[in-house]
This record gives sequence, structure tokens and C-alpha cells, in this order.
Amino acid sequence: MLEHVVNGLVLGGTYALVAMGLTIQYGIARIMNLSFGDTIIAACFATWLMFTGLALSPILALVVLVPAGYALSLVVYRFIMKPLVDRAPDEGALEVDSILVTFGLLFVIQGVLLTLFGGGYTSYSYLNSPVNVLGTTVAANRLLALALSLAIGAALVVVLFRTRWGMTLRAVALAPQSAPLYGIDTNRAARTAFAIGGALACTGGVVLSMFQTFTATGGVVFTMKALIVVILGGKGSVPGAIVAGLLLGLVETFVAAYIDPGLTLAAVYTVFLALLLVRPNGLFGKA
Amino acid sequence: MSAELHLSHLHKRFGGLVAVRDVSFSLAPGEVVGLLGPNGSGKTTVMNMISGALPCDGGSVKVGTTDITRMKPHRVAKHGVARTFQLVRPLPTLTVGENVMLSLAFGKKRHWGREARDLAEEKLAFVGLEGRGGEQVGNLTYIDQKRMEMARALASEPDILLLDEWLAGLNPSELSIGIELVRHLQGQGITVLLVEHIMEAVRALCSRCIVMSAGEVIAEGPSAEVLARPAVIKAYLGDDHA
Amino acid sequence: MKTPLAFALAAVVLAALAAAPLFIPDYWTGVLLGMTGYVALATAWALFSGPTRYVSLATVAFFGVGAYTVAVLNEVLPYPLVLLCAGGIGAAMALVVGLSTLRLAGVYFVIFTFGLAELVRQTVSWWEVNVTYTMGRYVFLPFEGRHIYWQLLALAAVTLLISWAIGRSRLGLALKAIGDDETVAAHAGINVTRIKLMLFVISATLITLVGAIQAPRWTYIEPSIVFNPTVSFMTLIMALLGGAMRLWGPLVGAVPLFLLFEWLSVSFPDHFSIILGLLFILIVFVMPQGVLAKLEDLRGRGKP
Repeated sequence: MLEHVVNGLVLGGTYALVAMGLTIQYGIARIMNLSFGDTIIAACFATWLMFTGLALSPILALVVLVPAGYALSLVVYRFIMKPLVDRAPDEGALEVDSILVTFGLLFVIQGVLLTLFGGGYTSYSYLNSPVNVLGTTVAANRLLALALSLAIGAALVVVLFRTRWGMTLRAVALAPQSAPLYGIDTNRAARTAFAIGGALACTGGVVLSMFQTFTATGGVVFTMKALIVVILGGKGSVPGAIVAGLLLGLVETFVAAYIDPGLTLAAVYTVFLALLLVRPNGLFGKA
Repeated sequence: MSAELHLSHLHKRFGGLVAVRDVSFSLAPGEVVGLLGPNGSGKTTVMNMISGALPCDGGSVKVGTTDITRMKPHRVAKHGVARTFQLVRPLPTLTVGENVMLSLAFGKKRHWGREARDLAEEKLAFVGLEGRGGEQVGNLTYIDQKRMEMARALASEPDILLLDEWLAGLNPSELSIGIELVRHLQGQGITVLLVEHIMEAVRALCSRCIVMSAGEVIAEGPSAEVLARPAVIKAYLGDDHA
Repeated sequence: MKTPLAFALAAVVLAALAAAPLFIPDYWTGVLLGMTGYVALATAWALFSGPTRYVSLATVAFFGVGAYTVAVLNEVLPYPLVLLCAGGIGAAMALVVGLSTLRLAGVYFVIFTFGLAELVRQTVSWWEVNVTYTMGRYVFLPFEGRHIYWQLLALAAVTLLISWAIGRSRLGLALKAIGDDETVAAHAGINVTRIKLMLFVISATLITLVGAIQAPRWTYIEPSIVFNPTVSFMTLIMALLGGAMRLWGPLVGAVPLFLLFEWLSVSFPDHFSIILGLLFILIVFVMPQGVLAKLEDLRGRGKP
């Protein structure tokens, strides 16, 4: 029982982390990124490559991959997203365009991963020693994953809610039309937000790869779960994403443990639907 | 026969803010009544509650003897209530004629085919857009878009028409055209509720006015008399002018 | 063109297409079959997603359900009843998905459909493994390629006919209005949710039938074969390329793209999905409204 709670929190922590990335991209840059999960998987493979090929620890991979994710996302934003942002007459048009383009991007990333690594399940063994927590044993890598998720998530919350820079980003999320009146460069905010999202996806990928197997075609499911967390938490709400992420991780772990591992996605969908019917704007969303 | 509109004890909250508090008034058949008040006084919220765009938190709206309080906008439209929007909202992928035909096809009587085309042309002619049904909406000037929106509202053959700042943003010569149009409506027996800031139009069109401030009705009566009341002047211009 | 003349022309083309398998080699009948399948899929997809702009990413969820229904029932029921069941299951599924998401903003619908195929695939796999103890099924129906082709041709023609009829009816006008501005549409007297739901169910049922009719092509069916996400992707890209707002748009997109994909998948089997993705991004960039609109645009600019 307790073991499942810990495992659920570990998984949920990772979900919360990546969902924060997605919610920042959607809330501030107004881009619904369907290739988000494939970015996570790409980071998983990159970590695996560094670990097995160069014997670098995932912590070091984090130091390399997070800035790389940030930089690559900036490039993607500049060449793919920015032209769409410029041509969109309204927010709805941008939403549709970004959904379509990132859907294409999903197939590109997935295709590259399939070509490089094949379609099999991949994993590596890092810090796989059991640790005793409150009477149950948990793998050390899971605890490290949880600690990393919490630390990075908390750091992001502090930045968003306690710094001037974070306030700028939140202002753009709340009032994209009026933010420029206060001297805020919304283009720059959108670009930064998209890049932070990409960096968080990479963080999530590194963390996830430490304790889960992954496959080149698994991105869709991660995007799906991250999206569900975003919706459940309320669009653009960071605290909402954290609570909903943890909730989803717990639900999944318990369904896998007590009902059947094959039904986790069905369970996730059921939670999603049930909550949508009761609270169409999410747990922390405004009417 | 034109139905009349009854509002009783209408109430609306947005979070902690009470936008509309205990608003009651009635319109007699064929009457043109002004709904006035400074920005943020709750006029548009009242309009939205009548048309079904916003659910009411309390009170009731009746058309004749029918209670429409909990109805969705498409059902309210079928009970003879049509509206225009504060910012003109044309449907860009439809032609001017199709914009009007939409209300004919889904309004009270559900016209279609040749009959609907003829009626659409008739409505367009009424607002001064004769023979322009085939044009793209994007090519219309501002006043013509407003005319088209009026034709679209009239095409659902309403008994009650809600005009939300329909005259705003027009230049003086367009304004007199607009006022004439609304006056024509009165001749057709349509009951009109007019949210308006342009006093010239209110004086010209409305026999009666209702004034709101901070979500409440503060005055009601014949236009000239109501507009001269100190409370109304205070609500609009502040204490110094009272 | 006058309507009776257009119908006569369409009937002639249809007859010629139907006669084709009697004169061409089997390989080309197979190509025609695949192409007709995608014409039906793209047209059915555009029926709902074109005018409303609710991008459905769930094509293969319905397509797969259709194929799988045939796989399960083909030895139990006579074929016409199997098709009827498939259509019914597709419609019921669309009703559930639509009822739960179409009242809400468009983005919820997109997100829900995005994962729907994966959800159905996993659920069907789970059911087969844990409840029926079978993984993979055989379809034994006495159909050759051309029989399937003829059925698909009929379905594609019906789909185009439905699309044409809706485009001329008040329903078509309502759909366009909903795509432009739901609030205005509702105030004009349109029951927005009901119309969206109705169209989604029609579109999904047609898609399910495409899957059901194509099922005998595989002989052996398992969830990972019939729930292949590439189907959703290709349908979307074809409809967009041709122009999802027009009657002939999806067809105009489906024919060249199907031939291109056929060639690509033979020539570059390993890089197929990369090329597909890049092509898709390019199409969204260059022709957001589709080829037909682009052509009209160019013709319009050519005039003084």
C-alpha cells in the first residue's frame, strides 16, 4: 500500500513537472504543443545514450540536456512557430495552426527516433539499489527522481511568483493584449515561455528515464497525460498542474497495482471525463 | 401581436462582484425603451441574461407569459427575442445574404430555399443594403456591417429586439440614418430595448428610460424627466454636477 | 455548371471507375482501393472538422473499431449485419465522445480525440488478453480486392453525396456559422451542441464503415495493425491539402497524396514518417486553406 503511494508520488511528480512545461507553453506562448511527449522521449534516449555510451550519470545529462532543450526550443519557435504567430488573425487560428504543425513535428521526431534507436523498449540501470522508506523499500533512482522533480518544480514556482521576470510572464498569460501597454515585450515572453517548456520537457525526460522503460513511439501517451494534467489543473495554472499531476500519478499506480496495468490509460481518461463533467474549467481554473 | 418583456428581481454575481442586483422592469408591446448607465453599471449583463448568453443567479425573465429565464440562447431566439452585439460580429465565411438567411433558417418560422432568399433580400432592403446580398462581409464598411447585423437580427422575425450600443461609433450623418432605422422598427410594432450612450439618440427614440448604476436601477420614467434627475446626472458625471 | 449536368458527369466517372478493375492488373486495383478508401476517409473527416474547425485527431479510433468489429463478428453474423453493427458501434462511440466534449471549448475536443485511438487500442488489447484470451483474429470473407474496391467506391460516392446535400441545406449554413462564431450562431436560433454532435456522429459512422469494409484486406487483424496512428495523420493532411471547407477539397488532396505516399513508403520505408511529418508542416505553412482556395486566390489575383 505505502509502496504504491510512494511510487505514485514519484510518477506524479514527473507528470507534474512536464505538465508545468506544457501549461507554460500553452498559457503564455499560446501554442498547443502536440510534439511535447516526443521531446520527452528524445531526452530519454539522449540520457540513455550518454549513460551507456559515455558513462555519464543522468545528473550530468541534466546539466547538458536542459540548456540544449532550451536552445533547441528557441530555434523551433523562431523558424516554425513565429511565422504562424505572425500570420494568425486571432487566438483561435493560432491554436488550430499550432496543433497542426506540432502534430507534423510529432511524426518527424518520432521518425528520427525510430530510425536511430528502433522501436523496442529501452532502459538502463542507474542507482537501482533498494532504500528503506517508512517501512517499504523503494529504488533509489525513484527517490532521486522525486527529489529532482520537487526541487525543479519548486524553483520554477518561486521564479514565476517571486521575481519580476516571472511576473512579466504571468502578465502575458493573463492579459496578452494589455501587457504591451506596460512595456512588456510579449514576443520575447512567448519565446522564453516556449523555450522553458522545452527545457522542462527535457528535464522530465531525463528524470523519467532513470526509473521507466521508454520506446520511440511512446510520446503520444506522454503528451496525452501532460495535456490531461494541464486541463485538470486549469489552463495555465502552475499549482493546478502540480496537484493534478500528483493525482494522476497516484491514480495510475493504484490502478496498475490493484486492477490491471493494461487499464491505466483508460483510468486516466475516466478521471479526465469525470472531472470535465463536474468542473469544465479544471480544478484551479476560473470560470 | 407583440409580446412584452418582464424582468423581475434579476441577479448576477461574478465571483465576489455583484454585477446586477435586483433589477426589475417591464416593456409594453411596441415600446422603445432606453437602458442607460455609466460603463460597468450592468447594462450589457442584463442584455446577456435576457438573451440567454449568461445564466441568471436569481430572478426571472418572461416574454408575455412564457418564462425564458433558464433557456439557452437558441431557444430564447425561438421565443421572439433577437439581439445585436456591442462590438459588431459578422460571420466572415458567409456572404452578406447568408448572414441574414441564417436567422431566417433558424428563427421562429424556419424559412428556406427561394422563400428565404427573397425574405433576406427584403430585410437587406429594409436596412438599406438592397442588392448587396452577394458581397463578402469583409468588404463592408462599418455602418454597413452594423446594418447587416440589424438585418440578421430582424430576420429571425423578433417581437423584442435588444440593441447593445448599436449606434456607437457612427459619424453624425450615419447616426441620423441609424436613428431613422430604429424609428422604422417601431412602426413595425417591434418592442426595442436600447442600450445606448448617445443621448441624442435616446432623446430622439425612447419615450421611456431606465437608468442603472453599479448594478441597480436608480431611475425609471419618461426620458426627458429621468435624464434631468440629479441622481442620474450624478451617476454619469459625478457629484460636482448634481 | 448546372446541377443535372454535374450529376451526369459524376455518374459517368463513377461508372468508369467501377469498371476499371475489369481492365487493369490486380496491383493497380489495390492502389485504386487504397486511394478510394482515403477519399472516403478525408471527405468524411472534412464533413465535420472542415466547417466547424474542430480538428479531430481520432480518425483511426473509428476506422480501427470498424475493422475490429468485422474481425470479431465475421464468423458469427452475415456480412451486411456485421457492417450494420460496425456502423452502430462507431455511432455510439462518437455519441459518447461528442456528448462529453462538444459542449466545451474546441481544444478539449482536440485533446480528447488525440489520445482516443491509443485508449481504444489499449482497451481492446486488454479485453482480448484478459477476457477472451485471444490476441489477433482472422477475417475469412469471400472477397477479392475488387469486391472491396466496389464497396469502398459506393461508400465514397455516398459520402460525397451527403457532403453535397449538407452543403446545400440549412445544416450546412449552420455549420459554417458555428465555425465562425458560436455565440452569434446560438443567438440566431441554432442549437449549436446538437448540430455539432449530429455531424460528428455522421462523420464518425462513415469513417467506421471505411474501416469495416477494408478489414477483409488484412486477413489477420490485431489491435496494433488497425489502430495505426498514421491513418489519422494521412486523412488530416489530405483533407487540409485539398481544402477541408469544400466539397471536392478532400478528394483533390487525397488522390495525389495517396500516390505520393505509396511511392514514398516503397522507396523510403525507413524514413516514411519523417518525410510525412515534414510534408505536413510544409502544407500547413504554404496552404493553410488548401489547394482549391489557393488556386482561386491565384486566379483572383490574375484578374485586373
